[in-house]
Amino acid sequence: MADTTVPALSIAARLGTVAYRNQGRGEARAHIVVDTAICNSVCPHKCTTYVCPANCYTLDEMNQVHFQFEDCIECGTCMYACDQGAVAWSYPDPEVGRGVNWNRG
Amino acid sequence: MDETFDCIIVGGGVAGLSAAMTLARADAKFLLVERGEWSGAKNVSGGVLWGRDLARLVPDYWADDDAGFERYVAHRRLTFMDDGAAFSLDFKSDHFAETPYTGVTVLRSRFDAWLAGKVQEVVDAGAHAEDSLLATDVLVEAIVRDDAGRAVGIRASGEEFHGKVVILAEGVNNLLTRQVGLQDAYVPADHLAVGVKEVVRFPRTVLEDRFQLSGRGGMSNEFVGPGATDGVEGGAFLYTNTDSVSVGLVLGMKALRAARKTPYDLLNRFKQHPAVADALRGGEVDEYSAKVVSMGDMRVMPREIYADGLLVAGEAANLVLNAGRAIQGMDYAMRSGILAAEAAMEAVRANDTSATFLKSYRTALENSYVMQDLRGFQQAVHVLHDPAMTDAVPRMACDFGREFFTVDNRPTRKAYQILRDVRKEHMGFWDLVKLGTRAGRAL
Repeated sequence: MADTTVPALSIAARLGTVAYRNQGRGEARAHIVVDTAICNSVCPHKCTTYVCPANCYTLDEMNQVHFQFEDCIECGTCMYACDQGAVAWSYPDPEVGRGVNWNRG
Repeated sequence: MDETFDCIIVGGGVAGLSAAMTLARADAKFLLVERGEWSGAKNVSGGVLWGRDLARLVPDYWADDDAGFERYVAHRRLTFMDDGAAFSLDFKSDHFAETPYTGVTVLRSRFDAWLAGKVQEVVDAGAHAEDSLLATDVLVEAIVRDDAGRAVGIRASGEEFHGKVVILAEGVNNLLTRQVGLQDAYVPADHLAVGVKEVVRFPRTVLEDRFQLSGRGGMSNEFVGPGATDGVEGGAFLYTNTDSVSVGLVLGMKALRAARKTPYDLLNRFKQHPAVADALRGGEVDEYSAKVVSMGDMRVMPREIYADGLLVAGEAANLVLNAGRAIQGMDYAMRSGILAAEAAMEAVRANDTSATFLKSYRTALENSYVMQDLRGFQQAVHVLHDPAMTDAVPRMACDFGREFFTVDNRPTRKAYQILRDVRKEHMGFWDLVKLGTRAGRAL
């Protein structure tokens, strides 16, 4: 019987389709700095852990927020969605930053 | 050599390149800086550039087989969805094939690069072939201002570049617009959305058969309802490219935050809706992308779009509108870029780049369809953001369709009887009358 479904793609598989800059570079400079002490103390929603389209913000088993910038696709969502002042957002440096190269866009 | 440019443009997207093309044709000496490796490398859109302004910038672009667009919009569809059904308004007309087209689908990485190439051609043929520049891989750190606060250039990689007028075309994440004080440092989520998208590839013949496309004709389809966004404010889209489709969601950021859902899970859910799965089956996901999108509410706009020595164009000025007919943003970017460049040139010629003089940009934009529509359709934006529009109304359409289009060899109810019961199921009578009245006036 013909397959009539469309597979659900994991976020990891999706991010696997994205081309990043300076991927060979050992250390890239973070373009977003998150004060996770705010996330893990006063924030009532920890919304970045679910609104970020690249899953850069994750929760551990202790419900603590962790941030990694390497998968960031520079959309800007966290800078607006975070209403606690925890996100300092800037664009990645072309030389020493990470960030995307869209091939389709 | 005079080291000062007539104009410096920050951002090589649609707004910046439209400004650059206008300046190039006016033989102005300009510098455009783009932070991406090429124009388009940092740009994402849903996918349709509406209107005819592209033909102003690149006359007869459609005659070029290698023009940067994907397909012209020959077929439009608006779909109301609940979990199992899809009820569409569908319009196809041969007038869409007339050039200049009124809408073309684009993939920005390719489209912007093509447009930048066209600008370069005009520069190369002009008086400033040697000293007008389109520079890539340059991130602007700051706007340089003189003691009086007038913008006089940019700083990038520790170096200063001077221009008589600076045009900010930096996109929705308008950090420099905030830096110069035209926008608050923190912009809350209220009037912004997050867009997520996949480009799904098909063999060209499969795509053309599946969507009944011929030549370079294509289809644009917008979706609204719980089947599309699971009750979150926003909608979905599906646009055909040359050998792929762009499929995605635009989700109100505040609503998404309140719903505690992820945009990528919602995208999976949308793709698995029976009507969408039928369109996407067998396709290969080429690229996943995301972008913040202005929602068309003017309350999110910068306080002003001009200052001493400075103009703001495109989505840096939050110029996007969805009033239910089309999601317009790139066309606004194009027109505002053109008008900003024209105002900058007038100011340079008059040797007066004060805010008082550059206000002519604001006036020109107000007199154009961009601000006329943004102002004229603010009520529509508010009506479309009524929760009923993403829930009760699409549900009613689908419930109605399920009964109206079903023949089951029992006595058949009249359409008005079905409508009455469907309405009772989902909405109070007066609520529907009120919404209908508002929508009737606003749309």
